[in-house]
Amino acid sequence: MNIGLDVGSTTAKVVHMEDSEVIFSKVVPSHRWIELINDGQDDRNIVSTGYFRKRVPRFAAITEITTASLGARYHDPDVQVIVDIGGQDTKVIDLRSNTFVINDKCSAGTGAFLELAAHYFDIPVGSLGELHSRATKGAQINNTCGVFAISEMISQLVGGFSMEEVIYGLHQAFAMRIAQMVPPANTVMLIGGTVQNTGIVDSVKNVLDSKIEVPGAPQLVNALGAALYMERLDDSG
Amino acid sequence: MKETVGITALVPPELIYACGKRPMDVNNLVPESSLSPGSKLCAWTAIWRDMILNGGLDIDSLVVVAGGDCHNALVDGQKVELNGMSTHYFFYPFDRDTDYLRSQLEKLTRFLGGIKDEKMFSLISDLKSKGRALDELRVNDRARASDVFSALISFSDLCRNPDVFEKTLNNVPETDVEYSSRIALIGVPPIYPDFHETAESFGLHVVYDELPYEFLRLGGSDLDSLARSYSEYSFAGSIKNRVELIKDELQRRRVDGVIHYTQFACHHTLEDEIFREYLDYPILTVQGDLPRPSSEQLKLRLEAFSEMLEVMP
Ligand code: SF4
Repeated sequence: MNIGLDVGSTTAKVVHMEDSEVIFSKVVPSHRWIELINDGQDDRNIVSTGYFRKRVPRFAAITEITTASLGARYHDPDVQVIVDIGGQDTKVIDLRSNTFVINDKCSAGTGAFLELAAHYFDIPVGSLGELHSRATKGAQINNTCGVFAISEMISQLVGGFSMEEVIYGLHQAFAMRIAQMVPPANTVMLIGGTVQNTGIVDSVKNVLDSKIEVPGAPQLVNALGAALYMERLDDSG
Repeated sequence: MKETVGITALVPPELIYACGKRPMDVNNLVPESSLSPGSKLCAWTAIWRDMILNGGLDIDSLVVVAGGDCHNALVDGQKVELNGMSTHYFFYPFDRDTDYLRSQLEKLTRFLGGIKDEKMFSLISDLKSKGRALDELRVNDRARASDVFSALISFSDLCRNPDVFEKTLNNVPETDVEYSSRIALIGVPPIYPDFHETAESFGLHVVYDELPYEFLRLGGSDLDSLARSYSEYSFAGSIKNRVELIKDELQRRRVDGVIHYTQFACHHTLEDEIFREYLDYPILTVQGDLPRPSSEQLKLRLEAFSEMLEVMP
């Protein structure tokens, strides 16, 4: 069995693979990552990734850039560009040229930005997608800086827009920020826990001309990539 | 004691020595500095400016390289001049005009009090040959890039003392280097004091440092030959020529990937798109601001780039 363990800034995920098939997966909050490793489990079949990759038992640790590339290609061998929207950063990987960019300087376009908005409305971040779908129009949010976008969002509420419309507008602003990092491509795959928010996916589809793909469990792609890497190491003996 | 002339970028060091003075590249102390300058765009110029204003740099005069190079330096240099420092402004031509550069070198020579010691030209030319041999050594995997870089970057002022510097060059250890990928580092030099060591820790062997190579490539034995050679200074001229030069070096040095270092608030950052379009190699762009040891963000990028070059087809 090959195990991929992705301990990120907000959640930890594990994927078990056998013969290139996923046989088990689980997600817990990051600080509880230990629950993902069974007592007495052998470290020799674990590849770790994510923010805390070098802080957990492992055979090898690799970055999320490599795991995302392997995991995304598992879902679609022809994917050209990957957008990994994480809790603290966003990574865009162009598989055609083996290049990547990471935005970790500004919260706009990362999960932290949506957390901030959800916190303001005092709603779970998981409900943003549902609220987005109820809006028929969006409030215009121009700022791509996370902090200013929140104050702009408040002004729009004062101006009479509903919470749903403001959330729609926020998602749109979020997608614009992401789009600035994405090169022209036929296929773009969105991965990371944030992508479970259907409002984000809708907005990215609105903003980009590319075909947008979202794999079945977008939050598990890096753990999956880590397990695939373990498989490779196994094969090469 | 020889007078010390601060220089803000490449100024032919052989000419300064030949004029009986010793150059001090004011950038060389920046990576180790913990100053947080008050008013700043680029931290390189802001820190040497504050160091000079605070009396923390022991120089008698300053030559500011402005034309064809850096307008931040031009403004910060004037702040230093307004504070009473004897200051000269040196301009490179954009169009490789050797007559223009010769007239600039003549003005500089007058500022420096005239040529007094012609043999410094050949002495420094010999040292540059040694530098090029050292550069080849790491291209052939026989020296660590971090050791070679710290020697080569010092060719802008030869550590203020060519005799001592020669010993430093002789002491760069020869050793077999193991690595996973060969890297070219283009752009202005990283402001981090430990960039090459950090890259090495992820299996990246830097076989080309663009700017230090300019220090070695250019030279001369009188004003005419200096003008001919230094008019080719790639950072001052057209990006087309620079791209051609870089391409040749990437091929000659069998590079796997390119790291483009950019400095916050530096106009060279705008060149990134051009390099991405014209250099057919995986490119990682990193940006630094204040001089601090390599951050976790930088390490993640270097580690990921190394994996990408190794793991991906
Ligand atoms: S990094 Fe750019 S802005 Fe800073 S001194 Fe060098 S050329 Fe000037």
